[in-house]
Amino acid sequence: MKCGFLACLFTLLSVPALAGTSYEFKAMDSETGHLRIEASGDIEAIEPLIRDFQALEPTLSITYVDSLTNDLYGMMEDACAKGAAVADLVFSSSVDHMVKLANDGCAQPHISPETARTPPFASWHDEVFGFTFEPAVIVYNRNLVPPSDIPRSRDQLVDLLRNKADTYNNRIGTYDIARSGIGYLFGFFDAQQSSAFGRMMEGFGRANARLYCCTGELLRDIESGKILIGYNLLGSYAYGRYKAGAPIGIVLPRDYTLVLSRAAFVPVHAANPQAGKKFLDYLLSLRGQQIAAEKCFFFAYGQAAPDGVDAAEPELQSGIYRPIPLGPALLAVTDRHKKARLLKEWKQSFQAQ
Amino acid sequence: MVSKMPSLFWRLTTAISLVLLLGAGTLAYAAYNYAHTAADDAYDRLLLGAASQIGETIRVEDEAITTDIPVSAFETLSVSRRERVYYRVIGPDGASLTGYDGLQVPRALWKQGSSPQVWDATFAGYPVRVAALSHYVSDPAATGWTTILVAQTRDARNALARELTLRAMLLVGIMSAIALVGVMLATRYALRPLHRIEEALGSRDPNDLTPLDVQAPIEIEGLTQSINHFMERLSERMDSLQRMIADAAHQIRTPITALTAQVELLKRETVPAKRKHHLARVVARTSQIGRLVSQLLSHAMVSHRAQSITAARIDLAELLNQAVADAIPAAMDRDISVEMNVGAAPIFIEGDSVSLREATRNIIENAVHHGARTKITIAIEAKDSQVVLEIGDDGPGIPAAQWPEVTKRFFRASSEGIGSGLGLAIAADVAKSHGALLEFAQEENYMFLVRMIFPATERDAS
Repeated sequence: MKCGFLACLFTLLSVPALAGTSYEFKAMDSETGHLRIEASGDIEAIEPLIRDFQALEPTLSITYVDSLTNDLYGMMEDACAKGAAVADLVFSSSVDHMVKLANDGCAQPHISPETARTPPFASWHDEVFGFTFEPAVIVYNRNLVPPSDIPRSRDQLVDLLRNKADTYNNRIGTYDIARSGIGYLFGFFDAQQSSAFGRMMEGFGRANARLYCCTGELLRDIESGKILIGYNLLGSYAYGRYKAGAPIGIVLPRDYTLVLSRAAFVPVHAANPQAGKKFLDYLLSLRGQQIAAEKCFFFAYGQAAPDGVDAAEPELQSGIYRPIPLGPALLAVTDRHKKARLLKEWKQSFQAQ
Repeated sequence: MVSKMPSLFWRLTTAISLVLLLGAGTLAYAAYNYAHTAADDAYDRLLLGAASQIGETIRVEDEAITTDIPVSAFETLSVSRRERVYYRVIGPDGASLTGYDGLQVPRALWKQGSSPQVWDATFAGYPVRVAALSHYVSDPAATGWTTILVAQTRDARNALARELTLRAMLLVGIMSAIALVGVMLATRYALRPLHRIEEALGSRDPNDLTPLDVQAPIEIEGLTQSINHFMERLSERMDSLQRMIADAAHQIRTPITALTAQVELLKRETVPAKRKHHLARVVARTSQIGRLVSQLLSHAMVSHRAQSITAARIDLAELLNQAVADAIPAAMDRDISVEMNVGAAPIFIEGDSVSLREATRNIIENAVHHGARTKITIAIEAKDSQVVLEIGDDGPGIPAAQWPEVTKRFFRASSEGIGSGLGLAIAADVAKSHGALLEFAQEENYMFLVRMIFPATERDAS
């Protein structure tokens, strides 16, 4: 695992609490300002960006707090209602939360040459901006899954589970959408995209699929061979493990590939909104995107999938990608009836057997 | 100095620009209102459409009313990608089923079960448009009206209204510009006849006072007529002036030649008695020339004043007193009595006092020099709303056959005497310019009368 000295130090020292894990990055020169980021994202993925940003802004000290998506949402909703300045920049993979907060007036608008370059699906109301491009992928164990079994679409995955039920029984994994925000989000859009979603969940249920809370655990079990195939993992984390030498293969489903763009905004109440906007501009800038593509998220908007990923021809990829657009449509994702209904249907499919 | 006025062209252009500006302003206001209504209409339909999409998903499951908020409902509303969207579904008991609990329903505007409605409100600090829709749920477990509220911020509406207004204003602007250019061209075209008159006058010989021969539209025909009329009068004035100068030169030349001859005689005469006689003739001739010159000047003055002096109120009795004083020298070789017959109340007329004094003085002088054996009578009388001024003498008078002639210039009743032949001509001119009548009469009691009859004028009660 790659991480900077300071960050590792703090990882070791800090005790995970409800408030999240805090990482301090001291200013490289004498400090003239402070930037506080409240987010939901692994420090390993974010640190290269923070370090590179500090090279541009050496007098800025930065605090990065990593929380669970639901905790982050609750804290920001509370801060917004009270008018408290808890962060200068917020980002999360639960883009529905981010859009809901912005819709409720908790974000301040930011317009700059960098925000103007953002693709349309990744910006809303000049307030929320998507700065990553993270496909939902199928991951398999390279040593244990023969090439003929590699599923390249959802139909192939369903067929595989039916045809080789014995091999894959209890050795398929995906998110527990009741516990994982990202799992729920992908599940929601899977249900929107294809009528085959129910059939696939039934197949997963029949195969006694294992359910996970987090991407990390899922990846670990695939690497160890405890399970053979994982569905709907965040491509960025999976590729990070692949690059680090883990015996895994990554497939971008060829029927359609959901793409998440991690959403960021500057809160309407912020102690140092200028610093927040600077970092946001950096994340959206060519330099930031380049660092993100090389060291953090590996996939980028408008670029072909990185080496080693099993994907369609590069010219077809843009047609297969289904980015989750930032916008009020995500309000339906947070609707309580909708969520209850989806969870109920999901459970019924899973336990049908 | 007459201050310079803006040209007709700029006056018209300015006036019409102002009218166009006012029109454009009114149109802008109308266009803005219309665009706002149009934008609201269009977006209200989307809003109600979204509410109805949500309404269609309301059903009862597990003995509870539930919804299945469709993503498409919000996608419909996020067409512009600039809108904040809020929604709420309210159950028959008034409690929130899902959505934003804070989205309120004004009691005055909405009751459960009402027909669809849209209103303006503020939510989360943003001005929003709220659509409300009723949906009836009929199930043994739950029965009654549910209400679906969907709200949207105004950004897209305002942007659409602004764009519609701007486009309308662009058209109005283009139309106004075309109208303005048209007006400027039309004005130049319409003013061309004036330029023709200007050129015709400018290129004219200074001595050419014949009428202008320029085609003019009816609007400025009056102007050309006035110019022509003015030139006609000017031409007459010039003619009369030239005639007067010629007459004067001729009239003065004869007595001066005579005077020169008499002075020659006087120079050669050595006999004292005869010298005295010649000297007396010279004196008489000189005084005759003096009187002639004075009357020539007086006549010139009277005809000038007739055309240039505005009328004032004149007390006739006072005027006549002065005239008598001027006309009758203190030392007379004859004993003449002057009888003034003026009423107790002063009589006023409108006129030029200087001219009138000159006229009456000449009539009285005439009486003194040519008639008046013993007396002169002067009477002023107001009757039948006319004012009659009568000057009489008991002299031989003028034969009735000569009456039409005596008012002509340089007419002399007899070849001898010292008259210039201008006195009654001056009186006649003054009478004419006052609209009065000059009459002669020979009374039975041997009185010769000269009358000036002034027409009725408005007279003060005082």
